Amino acid sequence: MTSLVLLYVFYLPGKLRLGPEKTRLSFLQERKETVYENLRDLNFDFRAGKLPEADFKTMERSLEDEAAGILAEIASLERFEEQRS
Amino acid sequence: MSQLGSYALLLALALSAYSFIGGLAALVWPGAQSERLGETARRAGIAVFAVVFLAALVLVAAAFADDFSIAYIFHHSNRDLPAPYKFATLWSGQEGSLLFWSLLLSSYGLILRLRHRTDTRLFAYASVIIAAVQVFFLLLLNFAAHPFAVMQGSLPPDGNGLNPLLQYPEMVIHPPMLYLGYVGFTIPFAFALGALIMKYPGEKWIHITRRWTMVTWMFLTCGIFLGAHWAYSVLGWGGYWGWDPVENASFMPWLTGTAFLHSVMMQEKRGMLKVWNMWLIFATFGLSIFGTFLTRSGVVSSVHAFAQSSIGDWFVGFLLVILAVCLYFYIVNRHHLRSEHRLESLVSRESSFLFNNLLFVLFCFTVLWGTLFPILSEWVQGKKVTVGPPFYNKVTIPVTLLLLLLTATGPLLAWRKTSLESLKRNFLWPFLGAIAVGVAMLVFGVRPWTDISYFYALMAGMLATLVALTVISEFVRGGRVIARHTGQSLLPSMLHLWHRNTRRYGGYIVHFGVAIVVIGILGTPFNQEAEKEMGYGDKVSLGPYTLVCRSYTQEDNPNYGNEWAIIDVFRGGKQITTMYPERRFYKASQQTQTVPRIHATVREDLFLVKDLYLVYEGINPDTGRPIIKAHLNPMVPWIWIGVLVMIFGTITALFANAAPVRVTVPARVPEPATVGAGD
Repeated sequence: MTSLVLLYVFYLPGKLRLGPEKTRLSFLQERKETVYENLRDLNFDFRAGKLPEADFKTMERSLEDEAAGILAEIASLERFEEQRS
Repeated sequence: MSQLGSYALLLALALSAYSFIGGLAALVWPGAQSERLGETARRAGIAVFAVVFLAALVLVAAAFADDFSIAYIFHHSNRDLPAPYKFATLWSGQEGSLLFWSLLLSSYGLILRLRHRTDTRLFAYASVIIAAVQVFFLLLLNFAAHPFAVMQGSLPPDGNGLNPLLQYPEMVIHPPMLYLGYVGFTIPFAFALGALIMKYPGEKWIHITRRWTMVTWMFLTCGIFLGAHWAYSVLGWGGYWGWDPVENASFMPWLTGTAFLHSVMMQEKRGMLKVWNMWLIFATFGLSIFGTFLTRSGVVSSVHAFAQSSIGDWFVGFLLVILAVCLYFYIVNRHHLRSEHRLESLVSRESSFLFNNLLFVLFCFTVLWGTLFPILSEWVQGKKVTVGPPFYNKVTIPVTLLLLLLTATGPLLAWRKTSLESLKRNFLWPFLGAIAVGVAMLVFGVRPWTDISYFYALMAGMLATLVALTVISEFVRGGRVIARHTGQSLLPSMLHLWHRNTRRYGGYIVHFGVAIVVIGILGTPFNQEAEKEMGYGDKVSLGPYTLVCRSYTQEDNPNYGNEWAIIDVFRGGKQITTMYPERRFYKASQQTQTVPRIHATVREDLFLVKDLYLVYEGINPDTGRPIIKAHLNPMVPWIWIGVLVMIFGTITALFANAAPVRVTVPARVPEPATVGAGD
């Protein structure tokens, strides 16, 4: 039993298969998805009649500004990555 | 057998220690070989599962083989014990239940380590933290509470048997459910602490642990209510919750875990409450360990607790280490937990989550205070003072009603802020419906001015209606939007709606279940009871029922001897059932147990379902006739129905969302937005 366990733990032939490292870019992509999801929610709640139009417009603008900031940073990071490669 | 089990436990400890130290070294000293070192640590963690599983298997096999050379089997099993209870021997005593803890932790660890490619580095941190917790439990098993300790001297012919109170079918599944809940909180804790230590960018760890947390919460919910149902069906006092320290021990992590499930949405959606969430999950894990300590240390008296032992000191030490580690990394990395947004309005979804959390924490603190009061009073006054249900009810019932109010109103509030017009638009009809139910309750005879418990019942009825109506309105409004887009009718649209956002709409179903449970709990003032010595043909009236004693007798089998009465139940002159309340004497353990009988009636009156509950209290030695106690509990079945709804809602929330329909809309954001159900 011990030999089998030791063999399983320490015998590592070939290259290891690991997942991708998390970068600032992947973090921003996650944030972008979250803000888009929030926009979808807001849109849906408005269509469902839960929000008056004035509230909807204010909140939508605020979320769009947040998304625009994230997209700008993603674009600049992608440009930097392109230049580096 | 005992040697194989002991060896497996030692090997598991060595592997866990390697998984912890090797994994930690790979994270702290990154280098060319660190990835390979980290991989061996991960594999060692996986191997722990196989080895601990073997140890558990050996213990169960020993129970089935009646191997009384193992002290644990001698103390918790006997030859005539039915097979399912022999299997349950694994968790029916202190040492076995700690082995079961360890087995479940290694099972959760196995799943986590197999899924490591989702985010290799974050999973490596979580794996190391889980290995550290595993080391603690394996140290306990190897050096303080050894399940394979052997009997000294000559071998006994038979064992002491399982505690009679535990010889009940639900007891075969209640402890595993509870343990799955307790142990499961280690996973979100490990991810949260790992994310804090590595200053993990973003909230993806919450997304990764979302299902873990929900599944864990569901198991704990099942465990708590199975325990309550067991107490109701076995202990024979007609109640289901006595604020016993061991009940409280399972309830406290449930309260903070429920708070975490809500507040974590604020972090996911708005990047807020990061510090609060971190400490909530630390507290939830800490309370799970604290609960395990309470049941094992002997510091509190309880009908459920294991015998007093020395392992309490181990748990105190472990709790202090957890606190020190959490506090250290919080202080060092607290800047990483800065909130991205501020609370903009007191009338918003965010503030409803905040109030909800404050109430849950207040509830938890009340339960903790009541649980620890006997210990604190002994320290301060030298005299143990125990607090009972009146202490708990004074705080927890108003808090529960406020939580129910937030359950109803929270989903209707908008994120950021809610205008007056929006409030009117969303709340008018549900509030009118709740008031209508309140008026109906007054008309049907509920008198809140006569007793505070009637006031609570009235409020519970109104607030539960409010919850139900808001849940229905959410489904209907959302369903209408989908129906407009797809041309489907309302019902398929609502199903479609749930499938588009399972967490949100599954959560609403859970809320609906909670409302039903609260109605059941706060319906206590409608209970009735009667007690009488009953000879042949004697009658007792209780509510609309007449109970007639047909006979009483005795019997004997290898496991226990018993005596019971045969009671015919009549309603309006017509016999509706016969019940057999019973009392048993277990031979191996020399213990007596009452076996109450419950008859649930359906759709006989306004209560829809209710329980008739009979207890055989014993025989009057002067007359030789049995004493029967009868309870009529009209609202209790609603608790179990509500729990089933909660479990169903949680399961529906676990399904993956369907992909949203992508529709290009003119927007200021340069990528197409989509139409889907909100969160």
